[in-house]
Amino acid sequence: MNARNRSRLLRGTACLILVAGATYACSDFLDTPPQGALDEQTLANKAGVEGTLIAAYRALDWNNGVGGGWGNSASNWVWGSVTSDDAYKGSEASDQPAATDIELYNWSTGNADTYLNEKWRGSYEGVVRANATIRLLNKVVEEKPAEISEADQDGIRGEALFLRAHYHFEAWQMWANIPYYTEDDTDFRETNVGVDAVANILSDLDEAIGLLPATPRYGEVGRATSWTAKAFKGRVQVSSGDYAGGLTTLAEVRSGGPYALEQDFSRVWTGFADFSNGSETILAYQASSNDGEPNGNNANYGERLNFPHSGSPFGCCGFHQPTQNMVNFFQVDDDGLPLSVTDPNWNARDDNLDAAASATMRLDPRLDWTVGRDGVPFKDWGPHAAAWIRSPSYGGPYSAKKAIYESSSGAVSNVGWVNTQLSSMNIHIYRYADALLLLAEANVEAGSLADACTIVNEIRTRAGVAAQGPGTGAADIAVPIDDASITWADYEIGLYPCPFANQDYARTAVRTERRLELAMEGHRFFDLRRWGIAEQVINAYLAVEAGRRSFLSAAAPYAARHNLYPIPIIQLELSQVEGVNRLQQNTGW
Amino acid sequence: MHSLLPSPYLIRKGRGHLARVVGSTLMLTLLLCGTAVGQQARVSGFVSTADGTPVAGAIVGVQKTSVRTTTDVAGRYSVTVPTDGVLVFSAIGFRALAVGVSGRTTVDVIMERAVAVLDEIIVTGYTEQRRADVTGAVSSADMGSVNKESSTSVLQRLDGAVSGVTVEASGSPGSRTTVRVRGVGSFQNNDPLYIIDGTPTEDTYLNWLNPNDIQSIQVLKDASAASIYGSRASNGVVIIETKKTGRGGAGGPVLSIDSRLGVSSPVRGYDDFLILDALEYQEIVKRSYENAGLPVPENIYGDPDNPTIPAYIWPNNGVSQTTAVDEASYSFPNSLIMPGSPGTNWWDAVFGRGLVSDVNLGLAGGGVAHAYNVSFNYLNQDGTSAFNRFQRASLRVNTEFERGRFTVGENVAVSQEQYFGGMGDPGGYAEDGIMGKNILMQPVVPVYDIGGNFAAGKAVGLGNQANPLKAAWANKDDLGKNLKVFGNAFAGFRLMDGLQVQTRLGFNRLEQEQHAYNPISPELSEPSFSDGITENYYTFTEWSWANTLLYARQLGDRHNFNVLLGQAASANEFRANGSGINNLLTTDINARYIQDAIGDAASKNVSSSGGKGAILSYFGKVDYNFAERYYLSATLRRDGSSRLGPDSRWGTFPAFSFGWRLSKEGFLAQSQFFTNVMLRFGYGVTGNQAIPAGRIVSQFGGDRGDTYYDVGGSNTIAAGYRQTSLGNPDLKWEENRSTNLGLDLEFLGGAANLVLDVYQRSTDNLLFDPQTPGTAGIAAPPIVNVGEMKNRGIDLSLGYTGTIGSGNWRVSFNGSHYRNEIVRIDGVQDFFYGPVATRFGNQVINQVGHPIGSFYGLEADGFFEDDAAVTDHATQDGAAPGRLRFVDQLTVDTDDDGVPDEVDGVINADDRVIVGSPHPDFTAGLDMSLEIGAFDFFATVFGSFGNDIWDVQKEFYVFRNFSTNVRRDLLTDSWTPENTDAKYPRLDVNDTFSGQQLSSYYVEDGSYVRLRTLQIGYRIPDKWIPNTRVYVQAENLFTLTGYSGLDPTLPAANIFGAAGDIRDQYRGVDRGSYPSNKTLSFGVSTRF
Repeated sequence: MNARNRSRLLRGTACLILVAGATYACSDFLDTPPQGALDEQTLANKAGVEGTLIAAYRALDWNNGVGGGWGNSASNWVWGSVTSDDAYKGSEASDQPAATDIELYNWSTGNADTYLNEKWRGSYEGVVRANATIRLLNKVVEEKPAEISEADQDGIRGEALFLRAHYHFEAWQMWANIPYYTEDDTDFRETNVGVDAVANILSDLDEAIGLLPATPRYGEVGRATSWTAKAFKGRVQVSSGDYAGGLTTLAEVRSGGPYALEQDFSRVWTGFADFSNGSETILAYQASSNDGEPNGNNANYGERLNFPHSGSPFGCCGFHQPTQNMVNFFQVDDDGLPLSVTDPNWNARDDNLDAAASATMRLDPRLDWTVGRDGVPFKDWGPHAAAWIRSPSYGGPYSAKKAIYESSSGAVSNVGWVNTQLSSMNIHIYRYADALLLLAEANVEAGSLADACTIVNEIRTRAGVAAQGPGTGAADIAVPIDDASITWADYEIGLYPCPFANQDYARTAVRTERRLELAMEGHRFFDLRRWGIAEQVINAYLAVEAGRRSFLSAAAPYAARHNLYPIPIIQLELSQVEGVNRLQQNTGW
Repeated sequence: MHSLLPSPYLIRKGRGHLARVVGSTLMLTLLLCGTAVGQQARVSGFVSTADGTPVAGAIVGVQKTSVRTTTDVAGRYSVTVPTDGVLVFSAIGFRALAVGVSGRTTVDVIMERAVAVLDEIIVTGYTEQRRADVTGAVSSADMGSVNKESSTSVLQRLDGAVSGVTVEASGSPGSRTTVRVRGVGSFQNNDPLYIIDGTPTEDTYLNWLNPNDIQSIQVLKDASAASIYGSRASNGVVIIETKKTGRGGAGGPVLSIDSRLGVSSPVRGYDDFLILDALEYQEIVKRSYENAGLPVPENIYGDPDNPTIPAYIWPNNGVSQTTAVDEASYSFPNSLIMPGSPGTNWWDAVFGRGLVSDVNLGLAGGGVAHAYNVSFNYLNQDGTSAFNRFQRASLRVNTEFERGRFTVGENVAVSQEQYFGGMGDPGGYAEDGIMGKNILMQPVVPVYDIGGNFAAGKAVGLGNQANPLKAAWANKDDLGKNLKVFGNAFAGFRLMDGLQVQTRLGFNRLEQEQHAYNPISPELSEPSFSDGITENYYTFTEWSWANTLLYARQLGDRHNFNVLLGQAASANEFRANGSGINNLLTTDINARYIQDAIGDAASKNVSSSGGKGAILSYFGKVDYNFAERYYLSATLRRDGSSRLGPDSRWGTFPAFSFGWRLSKEGFLAQSQFFTNVMLRFGYGVTGNQAIPAGRIVSQFGGDRGDTYYDVGGSNTIAAGYRQTSLGNPDLKWEENRSTNLGLDLEFLGGAANLVLDVYQRSTDNLLFDPQTPGTAGIAAPPIVNVGEMKNRGIDLSLGYTGTIGSGNWRVSFNGSHYRNEIVRIDGVQDFFYGPVATRFGNQVINQVGHPIGSFYGLEADGFFEDDAAVTDHATQDGAAPGRLRFVDQLTVDTDDDGVPDEVDGVINADDRVIVGSPHPDFTAGLDMSLEIGAFDFFATVFGSFGNDIWDVQKEFYVFRNFSTNVRRDLLTDSWTPENTDAKYPRLDVNDTFSGQQLSSYYVEDGSYVRLRTLQIGYRIPDKWIPNTRVYVQAENLFTLTGYSGLDPTLPAANIFGAAGDIRDQYRGVDRGSYPSNKTLSFGVSTRF
């Protein structure tokens, strides 16, 4: 190689190095934006704010978001039913052992903690999404004042505040001692000591009432209105013991609000789109199926375990089974009034109340809207059969019925794991009958026994309109309660003589009606606790029921500490700052 | 031994005074060589051992240049070299040798066998060094030992081969390998950086790389060695060089065939200790109910006092035994009928033997100015589980051309891997894997129903269990394919004597596809009638470009300099695309496409994702030594990463090291005993930025199943958005500072050697995403740099070579110890939990002052003997005689000194403590080899000591969660009032407390010693077949362990958090990993 070539090569090499160095020295080379993600600025507009609000609604039933258990279903079946005298966990012993621990009041086990944590995380994820909506709204209003009309600003803010209040209420119901988070909070290790959650919830609801329109924005039935917020306010007041306040609020809702009871009970829990979101719905989780989501995650996911098992048209999984105690509770006396009110021996029956056994029994027709019993038509799915039960020796012979769609409703999902147990049937979070019974309760405490009696009878009258029919198709799922086609029961609904004789009797009647009307809807445990009778009722229930379902003999006795669920251990630990847990565990746990 | 050589050309290893004189002379010679530009000449020769055996594959290099060649099978070489140049001969297992050419054209040498590899030429990062000149902690794998194993990935063969390196893998063919260098540096992403022929890659499988192509493996263990790769070197660097025939001419092409055929079977099966007889199992059920005071179910076995195998397990009314069913009513899938089995051996139904075949064809050769090495490999490895298989076909072409001062070449591998059967190690819970499913099945369940379809535990009391054979069968056509193209093209130019410039363009392309089928499962208790398929595609592209300038110079007769300057850039991107469809109209394998007409169009689902990253680097290194007595090396590297914050993305990684060869000092120079004594000290900083791209900003997104909602109540979902991750604009480099003190000894006249390294490394600014409280929502927590972790340890290797008659024997031992400790987490918390492996909570805690991935739970201290013991004990949920008793720890601080000194009388979450650690106290490998005449013997023993195992499977085979099968000795060794000193708690169906509280009862010592490899080889006499060796080989023949589970060798779980791979928080957990294989094989190697 000659000198000229050499020098050419030298220069070439030097250039190469220079080019290499210079090309990549510029900072652009190291700027690689995230792929396939949105940034906050993309969402800083009306569509973004509305979309963020939609996500806040989505957390109403968000079980699929928090992991493998069922701690965060919209109906609260684990926390409100299974821990009460309404329902067993069901299925068979070895399935969902965490729910078994909860059912048997062993709430401090690692197992139970996983479910508790799902509820905690689900509730606060709702809060986070509501707060994100408000923050983004504030940002858009500040940066682009004309982007969102004032009416929509109010609506969006009102709905988000309502949802924030609702999610905090869900947490408060469970744990009472909870931290309260608003859109300005940035420290997520706030203490729960000294927090007046109820006052905060009520304050948010009041603000929402002031901001929200009386009818849902865009006519979309899933949205909160000023009436939704007001009805919730009454619920919060009664739940927190402010009967006087609740009385005022709920009376206003009754007199001025848009709500009314459905014409008959078959339209309360239904998969028929025509009857969904009727006049009785205050807030429901708007389930949807076949909506393009490939796993059925938007269907009534939180209830998917609670269908009859493999011998049934649904296939799986036989959880949330009604107790014998509750089935017995639906017996009525000769006047059609609840036997439990008039006969101390109402809970004597131990054997399977199937169609043959009940052929001539006087029963509240709501029993067969609530409980699947052998031989009795199961909506329009044909008669419930023994083969539908997963393990009768464990969970007894009955199935849950309310949250199950009608065959002819077309609500079923085409996709998802065991798609037959996923449907677009909405899950009631708060319905008008519930509000009326809370009002009746407040009436009783205020001494307005006549008003309370009127409400109870109103509920009973509606209950007497229709009963489960032969269910050969959509047309005869519901028939009049004395229809000749009914061969499995003698349905009776009697009305109470008004006013109630005295406050004690009134209290019993209202509480009884509440259990009958709202059975298996996830309220019972919280009701018993509010009434201050949880320990007494549950221990009495366990004493008898353990003789019927042997697994209950392993239950820990209900004690005062059970009035509040323990805060999940992991969340206590995550609240630690400088070695000290900012969250304080509930007493006794 | 050097009789053929003029002694002045011995580069070192002088013994005594004479050698020192010789050494000085040599230095002078080298100096002259280094500064003169001499005439080139062709030199050839013969390299052999003392007894005349040719040394094949020895590297013959020309000192001060990059000219290299290797000897052919006959030990011959030919190379162009300056007439006054120096040839350096090196070969694994031999002492390196430097010989001056001195105008000769034939230079024959005899190489002396060496115990260790102290003198070999090794690649240490953009450059090559003599082992003796290395002052950092660098270990070489003995490729002879590595090649005696048959695993798919070379990484799995490093177990016990290199001190300071631990390896974990399962027996599933083609499964992932966890290689850790000197403990664990970070909460996540602890894979070392692999440099393959100069091209960096992060890979945790390396299945595409044919082990037979590998020439050498070096592990750079400390920062002083690794910091030249600064950016990604925090977890150590593994340098892999593939086989190259040096240019300079090794003569005509040599064709090689290396072939191995073997049979694998699991080292142990669950049928060794689970119940196989249905009526024995009934006895377990019966006692469990009776002890709980409950009626014994009769729906399977009938009368509990006179149990019999049922004629049918399904249909089953849940009350009484099924003895008669009208078999004519059978109709798949809606009306199934399953017979009862007297005892199904589920292990046997699923696991058995698998064939392993490995064929390598090679062609190598070269001329005066070119060299080539071409190889082809085909590997087929059957899993020991049904329908599970791995295949690889790979082609490698390495070439190099020289033209004047130019050198150009390339190293390219193209590889196709195929994985059949989707049932390897479990992804989530133990029961998700093929092993877990094996335990789930009771012996009374038959494999097939009366129609020949798969049966399962459909009846009450059998759980909701899936048939493991069905699961394997359904996935038999599940196929994963990886097409990999990996390599580089390079060019070098010798600007002037001693000054080289090199540029290397690396490329790495992966195309991956995965197809999976999910069957209907009408046979389950929770039946599913919906099937579906998924398809996933993934492409990854990475390029890297490195330019270096290397200058070597000597000043005076004693000052030796090497200077390296360089610049590198690399960028990568991936794109993934997944889709699926359900409710297929046909299960025909040829119809498995995502098309509307093939399934339920409404269930069709598609998504894609991607990521991009880039790194830019500048680096330099200076090596200096004074008369090979005092060494100094200094490195400086600066890296910028796109993954880190704009203001903090540049990191600086300095390192330096010193060496002192005491054997050159007067007081040792006379030693007859020590022939080499070198003290090394190094300190340096390396970095880690292995986090997902794009985490410096907050990300938002949405998903139909998570944020979309039917707010209108019309069964139509409206779009919703949420924050999906929290960004941190201040992300910076994670930094690993390591200090290493090393000692190299060669003694007993060179027959023995010892390498001892003591180190401490401390990783600061750990990149990880501490869990946020539930009140912060589910958005992925921000990644932060706060934590700190420390590893301290010792690496030791020791070797000895001896002779027996005309034979050689050799023993080498290497041992490693490290202690890992978390020093700081996020500044707020002093612990966080690892990923959940159990049904009952977090079994792993990462706590300040303890090692990463420590086991956590209550401390079990036996069983309650009687009611009095229950009363006397602290309040414990579900306490009863025969159940596990947990220790009430000191949790109350009565004197306010910050140290708890009292118990609180209640067993609850406060009483959880650290109950074990998956980290071994010591790991050791022992290689033994013997060559006598035509025979050679080789054995490797590996041991791990002091590591604990969390046996998740106890949930099932001890505590019978989900009504699973159980260990046979539960029948004889469960607690009874008469047998209170039992191994297992009382059989009690109501005892959900003993097993469902995480406790030390789940933890066992996982120490083991295993005969890893045993090989016997025979060199067939040349007169029969030339250049041919045959061997038989056995792997994993014997294991000594006290561990009661299946196999103490466990892979880390394949688990990712939002911020990366977190398997180090999930090690030593037995949740049904595929057992190791016992492989017997036969092999042939021949060259012609």
